[in-house]
Amino acid sequence: MSSVLTSPRKLVDIDSVHHRFRINREAYRSAEIFEKEKQLIFSKCWLYVGHTSEIPKKGDFVARTVGGGDLIFMRGRSGEVGAFFNSCTHRGTRVCREKRGTAKSFACPYHGWVYNTEGKLVSMNATNFVADINADGALDLRKVSRLEQYRGFYFVNYNPAAISLVDFLAGATEFLDSMCDQTEAELVVLPGEHSYSINANFKYLCENSYDGYHLLPVHVSYLEFLDDRLKAAGDQGAVNFIANLFTKQGRGRGLGNGHGALESWVPTGRPVASWIPPWGPEVKKEIEAKRTWLAQRFGKERADFISDVQKNLVIFPNLVINDNVGIIIRTIEPTSASSMRINSWALGPTDESAALRAIRLDNFVSFLGPSGFGSADDIEMLELCQRGIEHAPVEWNELSKGMNGAEDSRVEVCGPDDEGHMRAYWTQWDRMMRGAETLEAR
Amino acid sequence: MINPQPTRDQVEEFLYHEAELIDDWHLPEWAELYTDDARYDVTPLDCDDPINSSSKDSLFLLADDKERLTSRAKRLMKKTAHAEYPHSKVRHIIGNVRLGPNADGEIKVKANFVVYRTKDDNTSQYMGEAHYVLVPRDSGGFAIKSKRCILDLNSLADQGRLTIIL
Repeated sequence: MSSVLTSPRKLVDIDSVHHRFRINREAYRSAEIFEKEKQLIFSKCWLYVGHTSEIPKKGDFVARTVGGGDLIFMRGRSGEVGAFFNSCTHRGTRVCREKRGTAKSFACPYHGWVYNTEGKLVSMNATNFVADINADGALDLRKVSRLEQYRGFYFVNYNPAAISLVDFLAGATEFLDSMCDQTEAELVVLPGEHSYSINANFKYLCENSYDGYHLLPVHVSYLEFLDDRLKAAGDQGAVNFIANLFTKQGRGRGLGNGHGALESWVPTGRPVASWIPPWGPEVKKEIEAKRTWLAQRFGKERADFISDVQKNLVIFPNLVINDNVGIIIRTIEPTSASSMRINSWALGPTDESAALRAIRLDNFVSFLGPSGFGSADDIEMLELCQRGIEHAPVEWNELSKGMNGAEDSRVEVCGPDDEGHMRAYWTQWDRMMRGAETLEAR
Repeated sequence: MINPQPTRDQVEEFLYHEAELIDDWHLPEWAELYTDDARYDVTPLDCDDPINSSSKDSLFLLADDKERLTSRAKRLMKKTAHAEYPHSKVRHIIGNVRLGPNADGEIKVKANFVVYRTKDDNTSQYMGEAHYVLVPRDSGGFAIKSKRCILDLNSLADQGRLTIIL
C-alpha cells in the first residue's frame, strides 16, 4: 500500500537549534515521491553499473538493471567500454537475453536487426530501406548518456549535463582508494552473486548499511557466534568487545554529495590485513606480510587505517561498498516505494593465496547475504519498519542521534553509533528533491 | 567393515527423518546428523557448474562446515535470530531419490526437493536438487558428510531470503 501525497509541506525537517533531524515518513512510502525520486535523483546521479573485471575480454558483457534502465555493460571489440539500453531501435525488443557472456554482435530476435559490440547497427536484415536511414546514428543501440569509471568501478549517468564522476564521488574516493590500495595486483569481482529482494523502501537499506546504532540489538546472535569462535581459538570474545569498545572508537562521516561512511572496529578479522586466531596459522604470515608491505608503502598510519578499520560506505543514492569482513559491492535498485532488489558481489585481490581467498569468502557468507547470520536479520528489521510506517499515524522518523550542530550536515562527523552520516544522505536527498541541487556542471 | 549397498528405502527413510527434524524445528538434532567434517552448501544461483563449484573460490549463498551449521542451528533457535522469529512454517517434499554407487564406504544420493516456507501471510517455495554424501553410522543408519543444494532459481527475488534449512 502506498499512500497518496499531494504537495508535502516538508520532507526533511532540520531543527539545528534543538538538534532534531526528522524525515517525513511519506519519503519511505509515497508512490508520488518515488516517481519524483526517479526524475530528480536517479536521473541525475552517477549510478554504479559494474566493475572492469566483470568484462575482462573484448566482447564480454553483462546485462544489468540500473536506475530502472535495462542495460548492457560491454567491452566492445574495439576495446572501448560502453553501456547501452537493451532495446532494439526498431520495435523495442530486448536484444540481449543472457545475463552475461561474450558476444560478436547482438541480433534482435524479432526482425533480425544486428548491432555490433559498439552498438552500431550493422544489418537491418532487408534491402528495401532508404540507404541513409541511419545516417545520424539514431538507429544504433542507444548509449547511456555518460559512462565513467573510477579505479575500475564503472558508473552511468542518464543526465548528459552531469558533473564528472570524480567530482560526484567527492570524499568517497578516499574509501575507494583505501580499498584499491590493498593490492598492487588487481581487485576482481569473484564468481557468484547474491540477488534478492526486500519489501521496504530502498533508503531503509542505505541507512542500515552504515548504522552503528543497531549493531548490538540486531546482531547479538551473530556476535555470539563470533564470540564462540574467538574464544574457542583462545582469543577474547566479541560481545564484550562490542559492548565496551564499539562506541569509543571510530566515527560516522558525511563525505559530500550525500555520500557517507562508518569507520568502526569489530573483531571479525579482515583479509587485508587483520588476522584473527580462528583463521589458523597458515594465513597469519601472509596477512602480516601484507600489513608490513602496506606500512612500507603508505606509512604506518595509513596502513593501520587500511588494515584495521571496518569501512561501510554508502555512495548516494543506492550503492554500498563495504570494506569490512571482506569487500562487498551491493547495489540497491528500488522497484516501488516499498520494495527493492539487491545484488551483491564479493571482491578480492588477484595476488592472495587460495587459503586466504577461501577465508575471505567464508567470512563474507557467515555474516552477509540472504542466508548470512547478519544480513538476514537486517532484512527483517527493514520489513518491520516498512510495515510499521504504512499504517501508524506517526508523521516523522527520527535521525537526531548525536546531532552536534555541524554547519553543513553533508560533511558532518559523528560518533560511530550516531546518525550524522545518515543526515548527510538525507540532506542531499532533500536538496535534490527540492531542485536545489542537480549535480550539473555549471 | 564393508557395508552392503543400502536400499533406496533405507536412504529415503533417512532423508524423510532429516526433513522432519527441519520442518519441526528440531535443529540441534538436525545438526547432529552431520559428521564432524561435514559440509552443508547452497551453490550460487548464477553458477555454470554448481555440482563441481567450490565455496573456496566462489560466493555461495551458504557454505557451512560442521561448526557453522551447528551454530546456524543454535542461532535459529534464539529469539534474537530475528529473520526466523517467530519461526516460519516449513514443509519439505522430497522425491526422485536415486542412489549412486557405494564407494569407499560413502553413498552418493541425489534427490529432488521442494521446500515451502510460510512467514506471516506469505508463502514461498525453494525447489531444486540435493546431492548427498552419506556414510553408515556404527550405531546403524547414516550420517551426512555432505549436502549440496542446487536451487532451480535465478535469484531470490520471489523468496527474499533463505533463512530456513533446505
